[in-house]
Amino acid sequence: MIRLLLLAALVAQAHEIGTSRVSIVLHAGRTYDVEIATDAAALAEKLNITNTAKLAAFIEAQSSPFRQRIQLAFDGAAMQPAISCQVLPDAAIIRLSGTIPQGARNLTWNFGWTFASYALSVRGDESKDSTTQWLEGSQTSPPFDIGSVTPQFNRWRTAWRYITLGFTHIMPNGLDHMLFVLGIYLLSSRARTVLMQVSAFTLAHSITLGLSMYGLVSVSPKVVEPLIAISIAYVAIENIFLSELKSWRVALVFAFGLLHGLGFAGALKELDLPRSEFLTALLTFNIGVEAGQLAVIAAAFLLVGWHYSNRAWYRGRVVVPASAMIAVTAVYWTVERIF
Amino acid sequence: MKRLLLLLTSALQAHDMWIEPQTFTPNTGDIVGVKLRVGQNLMGDPLPRSASLFKNFIFEDATGRKDLVGREGSNPAGFLRVNAPGLLVIGYNSNPSPVELESEKFNLYLKEEGLDAILAQRANKPAAKVRELFSRCAKSLVYNGPAAAIQNDRALGFPLELIAERNPYAQSAATGIPFRLTYNNQPLAGTLVIAMNRLNPMEKVHARTGKDGRVRLHLSPGGMWLVKAVHMTPAPAGANADYMSYWASLTFEMRQAK
Repeated sequence: MIRLLLLAALVAQAHEIGTSRVSIVLHAGRTYDVEIATDAAALAEKLNITNTAKLAAFIEAQSSPFRQRIQLAFDGAAMQPAISCQVLPDAAIIRLSGTIPQGARNLTWNFGWTFASYALSVRGDESKDSTTQWLEGSQTSPPFDIGSVTPQFNRWRTAWRYITLGFTHIMPNGLDHMLFVLGIYLLSSRARTVLMQVSAFTLAHSITLGLSMYGLVSVSPKVVEPLIAISIAYVAIENIFLSELKSWRVALVFAFGLLHGLGFAGALKELDLPRSEFLTALLTFNIGVEAGQLAVIAAAFLLVGWHYSNRAWYRGRVVVPASAMIAVTAVYWTVERIF
Repeated sequence: MKRLLLLLTSALQAHDMWIEPQTFTPNTGDIVGVKLRVGQNLMGDPLPRSASLFKNFIFEDATGRKDLVGREGSNPAGFLRVNAPGLLVIGYNSNPSPVELESEKFNLYLKEEGLDAILAQRANKPAAKVRELFSRCAKSLVYNGPAAAIQNDRALGFPLELIAERNPYAQSAATGIPFRLTYNNQPLAGTLVIAMNRLNPMEKVHARTGKDGRVRLHLSPGGMWLVKAVHMTPAPAGANADYMSYWASLTFEMRQAK
């Protein structure tokens, strides 16, 4: 606002500035919103409407002559925006909205319903700073570079960002997923046992994460979250009674992986993925999740497994108590998540 | 709709500016809001007060001359208090403002405003952008009390000025009103004076000033009238412009015949 006033002071010498103003907001390069504020009585007069109460309906009509003297164009192609109008005591607020054509590089604007100079401001929705220029009525604005207000989706930056998000979703933010992975690790210290289970789990959660993100599968978190807790409890309890890998254990871990994948999808959806980089984000988030899981296993291995897993007391003093604690925690979560 | 279409097809690039008081017939003690409007065919946008834009924004009555008061950015741009009966003259004289036009549009506007001398000078000039410095010289007449023919408009000393030589609020105005056009307080001959009425702005009354700078217009009663004239001169060296233009306007209301 202060910036606008300063500008006004600078150009006041030069222009007969009216009461109209136009602001354009570009939403992440996908949709646009234009707000025109102008004197209601003067606009009604130009449209030959006797009563400003009728102004809104007149302007909103599909074939309204109002459209003839406004133009928003992307790369020279004129848009047909949706128009809504609100008439206040001394001003008409007209809003135009629509979709920005994919790959559009610049926009131009023309407002032919004022004779005075007016300020046009353009900004991206993530920025509070706007670019302001002064235009005469009926003057087409110089092309405005959309890239200057839209955050650039650099693929490497996006990839790194989603790897980080995937990793932190496990460590340190996803205690439930960490306990599940620990449960898998604790069954047996044999590398093959760990590898088989982790592979089954990874394959399964990748499948449901992908299907869910593309909208092919949809399960309510109210169902998924308690089931994830039950899966943790099951794996931990089984560790107490079982010490070697059975084929049905791999199948169960696969089934549980499907559930966890749905959980990851829920978290990823909340991050509002950039549409243009959807696949990159999906894959790198999954890689981040994977790295998080491996980090949990590596930490467990370095802390206890490496030195003590071949000791006689390892199962009695580490696996069973740790699994029991995991089971108790998971049962508690199950109850908490159901009710 | 006809009016709308005419507006849409109009090629005019330079706009009129006029004064529109909230009432043309106030009473003593009234506070009158005075709007500035910029537009064409009497369709205009409000011009909020901008102190850096004008040299004078004044009114003059039998008791003397005063400034119109107002807050920066406000619309109406100024307020005045009616202190005395009779004719009250409101004046707005702007600083020069620069405007740049394509040569083609500039020539078109010269034609519309009847600026034939400048148009003739430009006949062999190469087409390029034209930079112009324009100044507003707007006046308005409001009337308080019973109309009397002896009360007349007065000169405010603006660079270009239209002066009504008969009180438009008096009965005798029905037979035509003589206007005098002055440039630097000297009569300006051969200049097009155009008048239009709020009730039918597309129908113009026009005539060129004679040697004595006078023109007589027959204006029908009823509604607000805008009388206007434009004068243009080549810009002096160092002005950073090609031309200087002066836009005189005079608004008043004509009473319905009783």
